[in-house]
Parts: sequence; C-alpha cells; structure tokens
Amino acid sequence: MDIEPIDVTPEEAPPLPKTGFLPIETNWFDRIFISVVIWVALSLFWLRFIEPLGLSIWICTAISVVLAAIIIRKG
Amino acid sequence: MQSNRLGWLLLAPTLLILAMFGVFPFIYVLFVSFHQWNPFAVNPEMAFNWAANYRRVVFDAQFIASLGVTAAFVFFAVVSELILGYALAQAFMKDFPGKAFFRTIHTLPLIMAPIIVGSVWKLMTTPSIGIIPHLLDNWFGYDLNIGQSAGAAFVLTVIMDIWHWTPLVTLSLIAALVSLPPDPFEQAQIDGAGRWQIFWHITLPMIRPAILATVFIRLMDALRTVDEVLMLTGGGPGSATRYVGVHIFKEVFPRTNYGYGSAISVVVLYVTIVVCWLLYVGLIAPRNKKG
Repeated sequence: MDIEPIDVTPEEAPPLPKTGFLPIETNWFDRIFISVVIWVALSLFWLRFIEPLGLSIWICTAISVVLAAIIIRKG
Repeated sequence: MQSNRLGWLLLAPTLLILAMFGVFPFIYVLFVSFHQWNPFAVNPEMAFNWAANYRRVVFDAQFIASLGVTAAFVFFAVVSELILGYALAQAFMKDFPGKAFFRTIHTLPLIMAPIIVGSVWKLMTTPSIGIIPHLLDNWFGYDLNIGQSAGAAFVLTVIMDIWHWTPLVTLSLIAALVSLPPDPFEQAQIDGAGRWQIFWHITLPMIRPAILATVFIRLMDALRTVDEVLMLTGGGPGSATRYVGVHIFKEVFPRTNYGYGSAISVVVLYVTIVVCWLLYVGLIAPRNKKG
C-alpha cells in the first residue's frame, strides 16, 4: 500500500522552540500557556490578599496582560 | 492539499468527540462559574456575578483544608501504588506456579466500579459486622471505627485506593519491563554490577517514561476521587476525608450551588494542570533537551 506523504509547507510547519529568559525551551503555545497559568495564579492571589486592601482586580488583569505580552515576545 | 484534507477528515471523529465531551463541557463549566445559579431556587435563572464565586473560593477555609488533605491523600496513595506496583511487576516477571491465575486475580479490582469498591470496603470496615475491625480486634486488640477516628478513616481511604489502583501500575510496569532489551543487563552482569546498581542505573532510567506516564494518570485520577470515598466515609469524620472531589459534590448536589461548585471545579482543574505541567517540566523536558 502506498502512503502519500502529507505536504507541510514552511508556513504550516510547527514553530521552532526558542530560548528566551524562561529557563526552558518554549514555542509560542507554551508561552501562552505559561502566561495563562501566571494570570490565574496572580488573580487568585490578588482576590485573597490584595483586593481586601482596596485595590481592584482590574489592576491585576492589567499587570497580567503586560506580563503575558513580555512572556510571549521575549520568554 | 488533497492528503491534508484526508488527514483532517480522518481526524474529524476524534476532534468531534473531544469537542463534545471535553471542550464544550469545560467552556460551559467556566461559563457557569461566573454565575450565581441555583436551578431549584424560587428564581432559577443564572445571574452573572463576575468573580464572586472565585472570591468565595479563595476565602473558603473548608476548601483550602480539603486541598491539603487531598495533597496528602494523593502523595501517600500514588507513592505506595508505585512502589507496590513495581514490586508486583518484578514478581510477575519471574516464573512461578499459578502465575497466570495470580495475575488475573490481582487485576480484578480494576474492573470494579469505584462506587462498588466503596460499598465493599464500607461493609468490610463497619464495626460489629466488618471483617477488618473483627480481625484487628482479635489479633491486636485495636478498635477500628472509621466513623470516630479521623486518622483511621484517612488511612483506610488511602489503602482502598491502593487496593483498587495498584494493578493498573503493575500492568503498565510489566509492559515496560517486558519491552526492555536484554543486552544492557547482560553487559552489566558481565561488568560485575550488583542488583541495586542494575536497578538504579539501567532498569529505572529505561522504564522512566512508563513510570512518569503512570504517575500522571494516577495523579489526575487521585485528585478527582469522589465516589469511593463518599461511599466509605462520606467525607468524614468531620472533614478528615473531605477531598476536593467530595467537597465539590457536597456543594453542587445537596446544596444545589452550581455556580460556586463550578468555580471550585475550575480551580481544581487549574491545580491539576499546573502540578502535571511542573512534573513534566521538572522531570521530562530536561532529559529531552539533553537527548
């Protein structure tokens, strides 16, 4: 039985792992995942300890978005 | 392009099932977790309440305590299952009379539904009618009452989990051990390596992927244990065996607090994913990089 190879053009090829400031090799999906993990952890921490002091959760969201942008671009 | 289309067509049933039973339920739970929803209340409508459920989760002392108890349960159960499973796998690698019979008998707990396992253990541990309290009293003079002793209830849930799931670990490790090539072992023996050295430097590194896959499966399973424990102890005495799954069950069903239960579920899913990811990054990724 002939098995036809699946064509993978350079645009479709999976992204290559890269090393940024994160201690592990990551691709773009890993960096999005890490950003979401940090965002959720930070939000739960903020709800428990910072929000009772009067600082809104939206500040935490803004910090998380900035962190995510840095991690995705330079992580 | 045509072969790409064929690839997607072949993948379609899997993706459809994954979407129906994995992705959509998750999105729905996430959606419900941002709502106040009690379908049996006077007003059964969902009311969007932003992060109020999550705010409640982080201040819920009972939930935080249940996370701690669950961590202890998972640690003791998974480590014991791994050690016992490996010992049994090694035993089943050797030939002895009745090996096939014992191997079949030892896998029987796997085919039992968790709720049945819980009821059987409940019968076996009920004071006055159970075989375990009877024998412990006769042999050691120990009065086992899981309705009163928090420590005994916790230990029994761990033992029940070990009894139920060790065969899974054994079967995975037997498969890994059978597939090992004999050459490195023969060379090590020629070089005069002892049994411990062979285990530590050859067997363990070679079956590491199987061990890690088994640990991941058991870890995720143990973190969501509900039915066995609910049947055996009902989460008690007090909150000694109120693991996160039991806590979610008690919030969602008896109290019909669907929004809050969904928020706890999302947090538990988050914890499970992070623990597995950290284990993966810590144990597998560095080796892959070296290799």
